[in-house]
Amino acid sequence: MEQDTIIYDSLEIRPLPKWLTDQRDGLNTYQPEIMEMKEDKSLGISFMITGSVILLIIIVLTVYVLKKNRKASL
Amino acid sequence: MRSIYLKILILSAVLSLACTTKVSEWVLLNALPNEYVLAYYHKDAITEAVKQHNSEISAEIKSANIQFRNVLKKDIDQPYYALYYNNRLFGRYNDFRELNDIAVSPLRQKIASELMAGKLCVMLYLKTGDPQKDEPGLQIVRKTVAASPFGETITIIDLSRTSTEEQHFVSMLLNVESDLKDIQQPMLYGIFAKFKALEPLVAKGISEENINLMVDFLTADCSCLIKDDLPGTDILYAGSWENPAPSLINAIIDANPALAHQ
Repeated sequence: MEQDTIIYDSLEIRPLPKWLTDQRDGLNTYQPEIMEMKEDKSLGISFMITGSVILLIIIVLTVYVLKKNRKASL
Repeated sequence: MRSIYLKILILSAVLSLACTTKVSEWVLLNALPNEYVLAYYHKDAITEAVKQHNSEISAEIKSANIQFRNVLKKDIDQPYYALYYNNRLFGRYNDFRELNDIAVSPLRQKIASELMAGKLCVMLYLKTGDPQKDEPGLQIVRKTVAASPFGETITIIDLSRTSTEEQHFVSMLLNVESDLKDIQQPMLYGIFAKFKALEPLVAKGISEENINLMVDFLTADCSCLIKDDLPGTDILYAGSWENPAPSLINAIIDANPALAHQ
């Protein structure tokens, strides 16, 4: 945290230490990120997709079995 | 209802992460002082006499924040010692006798004992030797500290930059920033924790406002930003930092919570 003390022409314009200017300007205070709850729909979407796939498979298999049984009865 | 419980849980977690330890106390308890390197440069084989001297030096600095190294260097005229801090040259010594008491001195012991006693900091006023330059600043320091609610936890010590007894200490203070050696003005160092010296207030920078900012910096709740990038230079000191007394400012803040930083 060393202040750059090379670039000045006189003591009058010598920069103040960085720890001091940071303290003065309130930069030493680190505020933790405010955590906000966000609506999460991923679980619902996942359930819907899984349910849809299962229903589709059941429908396909039902149609397949019914067709097979109909052919067998003929 | 479930979302309320979840919010309370998250809020508790955030609050538990907030650090209420003050900067001065946190650094004293948790931060190790940075180490110096004392190098002995030589181009020929080290003689028995030099080995003896170097072992004496090593023994003297054993408990200090410093490492001793022998460095073979062919392009030198005569052997010498060099003191480095963070790869910055702090001093060069042609004779081992110049290194006497490099890691310890009466004033450093006194400052360390104040810090170990739970003081917030020691404000060290480095005098030029010219009373016309020195006295006004010293009066401002005394007046400001006396008016501070934390004044009783701050020790003011003055030191002449021409002191021979404290020459090593003065040299380290004047090396805290690269240009300080060339500035013939009084300087005010805030020394805290395990002998960490903040970059000083110089000349007209020694003002009531800036001294209060120094106190604010040291009494602030320790933030992650400060922990990650601690300012200041660790002074070379051979002494123990085990079991410091509880920080005195905590009792002051407990008695007057309005003084606590938000």
